[in-house]
Amino acid sequence: MRNGQQTPMKVGLFIPCYVDQFYPQLGIATYQLLEKLGVRADFPRQQTCCGQPMANTGCEQDAKPVYRHFARTFAGYDYVVAPSGSCVYHVRKHYDVVEQTPEVQRVRQSTYDLFDFITSVLGVTELPGRFPHKVGLHLSCHGQRGLHQANESEMTPVRDGQLSRLLRSVDGLALTELNRNDECCGFGGTFCITEEAVSARMGQDRVQDHLQNGTEVLTGGDMSCLMHLEGIVRRRQLPMRVLHAAEIFNAALAQPSKPVSTFVPGAVVAL
Amino acid sequence: MSSSRESILAAVRANRPPATALPPVADFGGEASVERFTEWLHFIGGQVVRLAPDQPLEDAVQQLFPKAVRIASNLLPATVPVNGQTTTEVLEAVDLAVLQGELGVAENGAVWVPEANMLHRALPMITQHLALVLDHRHIVATMHHAYAAVQHTGAYGVFIAGPSKTADIEQSLVIGAHGARSLVVLLR
Amino acid sequence: MNHPQRAAVFTSDAERTTWHDETLWFVRQKRDKAVYAIPEFQQLRQLASDIKEHTLSRLDEYLEQFERNAQANGVQVHWAADAAEHNRIVLGIMRGVGATSLVKSKSMLTEECHLNPFLVQNGIAVVDTDLGERIVQLREEAPSHLVLPAIHLKKEDVGETFHLHLGTPKGEKDPQALTEAARLHLREKFLVGQVAITGVNFAIAETGAVVVCTNEGNADLGVNLAQVHIACMGLEKLIPRTADLGVFTRLLARSATGQPVTTYTSHFAKPAPGRQIHIVIVDNGRTRQLGRPDFRASLKCIRCGACMNTCPVYRRSGGHSYDFTVPGPIGAILSPNIDLHQHSSLPFASTLCGSCTDVCPVKIDIHTQLYKWRQLIAQANELPAAKKWGMKLLSSVLARPGVYRFGGKVAREGLRLLPHGLTHATAFNPWAKARELPEAPKQSFREWFEQQSSIPTGQA
Repeated sequence: MRNGQQTPMKVGLFIPCYVDQFYPQLGIATYQLLEKLGVRADFPRQQTCCGQPMANTGCEQDAKPVYRHFARTFAGYDYVVAPSGSCVYHVRKHYDVVEQTPEVQRVRQSTYDLFDFITSVLGVTELPGRFPHKVGLHLSCHGQRGLHQANESEMTPVRDGQLSRLLRSVDGLALTELNRNDECCGFGGTFCITEEAVSARMGQDRVQDHLQNGTEVLTGGDMSCLMHLEGIVRRRQLPMRVLHAAEIFNAALAQPSKPVSTFVPGAVVAL
Repeated sequence: MSSSRESILAAVRANRPPATALPPVADFGGEASVERFTEWLHFIGGQVVRLAPDQPLEDAVQQLFPKAVRIASNLLPATVPVNGQTTTEVLEAVDLAVLQGELGVAENGAVWVPEANMLHRALPMITQHLALVLDHRHIVATMHHAYAAVQHTGAYGVFIAGPSKTADIEQSLVIGAHGARSLVVLLR
Repeated sequence: MNHPQRAAVFTSDAERTTWHDETLWFVRQKRDKAVYAIPEFQQLRQLASDIKEHTLSRLDEYLEQFERNAQANGVQVHWAADAAEHNRIVLGIMRGVGATSLVKSKSMLTEECHLNPFLVQNGIAVVDTDLGERIVQLREEAPSHLVLPAIHLKKEDVGETFHLHLGTPKGEKDPQALTEAARLHLREKFLVGQVAITGVNFAIAETGAVVVCTNEGNADLGVNLAQVHIACMGLEKLIPRTADLGVFTRLLARSATGQPVTTYTSHFAKPAPGRQIHIVIVDNGRTRQLGRPDFRASLKCIRCGACMNTCPVYRRSGGHSYDFTVPGPIGAILSPNIDLHQHSSLPFASTLCGSCTDVCPVKIDIHTQLYKWRQLIAQANELPAAKKWGMKLLSSVLARPGVYRFGGKVAREGLRLLPHGLTHATAFNPWAKARELPEAPKQSFREWFEQQSSIPTGQA
């Protein structure tokens, strides 16, 4: 929370490499959603990738220049916001292998997942708007177990988290109750290629759980999981849409269900 | 052989991680009730029978195991005498062993049986059925309390929690794997 | 074959994969139920981790204390630097008492040392007495799980095996009947076993006792009928005090199967009059692991198998796909210490979802160690060439924004314009076997952003 400061926070948008190229609509939705919440984000053009694909393959050494590039690119921002828990987790957890310059340390601390940013930094835990659909939430493992954005079923039967709270607050939106709340989808970076058989099977099982329980719109906070699941949904021509949660919120906010006076976009920034 | 001992210990010393403290012995409290003990013992396939204050043990055993012929026990008149020297052939034929349990654990239905109460170390497992007599005042809440009470586990001693069981075939629970096919705790 | 290849064979039987996954998930759910019921469970995990951490930090002292106390109890203590020495010691003990037959309860260590084939070669009859172990022994297979050795088999498979070896009626597949047949068959073995081998769950430094946890009662039955008990343990099994068992016995069975405790928790300290106890303490790479700061926490493992039950990869690829004594996530961090080259695909048999770390009762950071092994494997040049050069190329692109922008556009345009049959050809693109590629848009996000000329670009 910002305590009565008048200078607007400087927010740099990090759009993961594959989202930039293949899911521009998610980048747009993220940008517009932040704008509706009173945050004018910047998109530094020099950005590329967080380096996770290489590092998870064992090539952390090769990824170091990418880490440094990331830190340099975002050094001037108060917050770095990404619609991807996985990338954020990587920056926070694994950037320990490059020299911890003040710049690197600062960027690691100030990099946030979009919904963590909305909840923890902006202090927004409810969103107005309407989205009258049965929505199935796929929690990404890095967001949930890595960044602790939701309760882990390994620890507690309570099913709650930042993203599910935000989704529940949207008018008309019903969350699907899954048989396995937080099972991994099987994307796993290069795992989805090198362990193709298991990866595909995991994704199919995940989709099946949603299908069985009535999910119309499959969503989540990580496009990488969703790209994998969408690939299965489209291959099997299943009656299910796949949307990143930022796209849902951005669409929902376009048709507010409550009087605007109860919610003043941007007000939270000045709190 | 001794050279391996020295080389292993040397390698351990060379690779020792930084020293950390040993945490104090844990105790999280908990409920030490007969009800809880009974509930858990039932859950794991055992049975609890409460003896009336003046009820002779023989009567209860006779009622519960009318068909048991070869009975080994030091708590009631036995039909098979068993001691540390008893042969495997004799042990193998025991239908029922009635032995004293020292301590019950409410959180899991386990009963502490030290060697001194077993007549022969193999008896509690080789007998077809097992009955353990337990003083209801000797029930503790958790394994922390159990080990605190037992202090030293002696030459040989076992926590026995229910009858022998396995789920090695398709995770289907089957009672009576290699040890006793049933376990009754007779609470005094 | 490597893990992906063996896993692909396993998953090709979709129905069995479903069954395997659901059966182990059921065990995970039983574990959850047991864990949720203990309010202090997370504190217990921390305690267990701290006790093990402390023990490892003074392991030499605890080993010596344990040895002293065990010897004072009349136990003979042996030390084995590696598997071969362990096996020689066991054979030596057997020969010393003129024994030719052996009943063995569950011991992952003896599996690790490949004791059975060694003894058989030397004329010893070995009978595994744990039901699951006996089943896989009769089938000449390896266990596929730490706690549920025959979990890869269905009751029909077991029925067939017992029909062949124990003479049960053909087609008998009722678990109750099959278990009864095994009980009768194994009782005969117990009655004549001269020597009994057990593993060790915990070794108590302050008393010299070893603790063995089973559900079937086979360890106690074997040991207490035989003249000689040989307990084989890895040197990481030490814990300082009897009181520490309070922590570990509360965690072990709940994590493993969701039981509140194992049926038998047996404490062996002194041999019965006229009988012998031998304890073999084995290193076999453990001191090397102790010297690796990133990986030494793997020595805290109490072999509960919870990481297997929860692992979405293990559940769908089966224990044999790991081709290592200890399968699953924990096996994938133990195996590279034994042979980095042979097991180089195992740390990659994971999505790094982290569920293993979260269920581990001693809080081993399993998925972080998987990540770290991957780095070592790459550094040791054990990555497949395509992966290695692909990653080098990718890095060089991603460190250069201009090249990245150009490359991204080429990839996107390629995907957009090339025929589906080419972009989805499974020969080049394993992704496309079961999945569609994303539909490539005309415009990237950055191109869209740059078009928004009316939007001020901030201060950067």
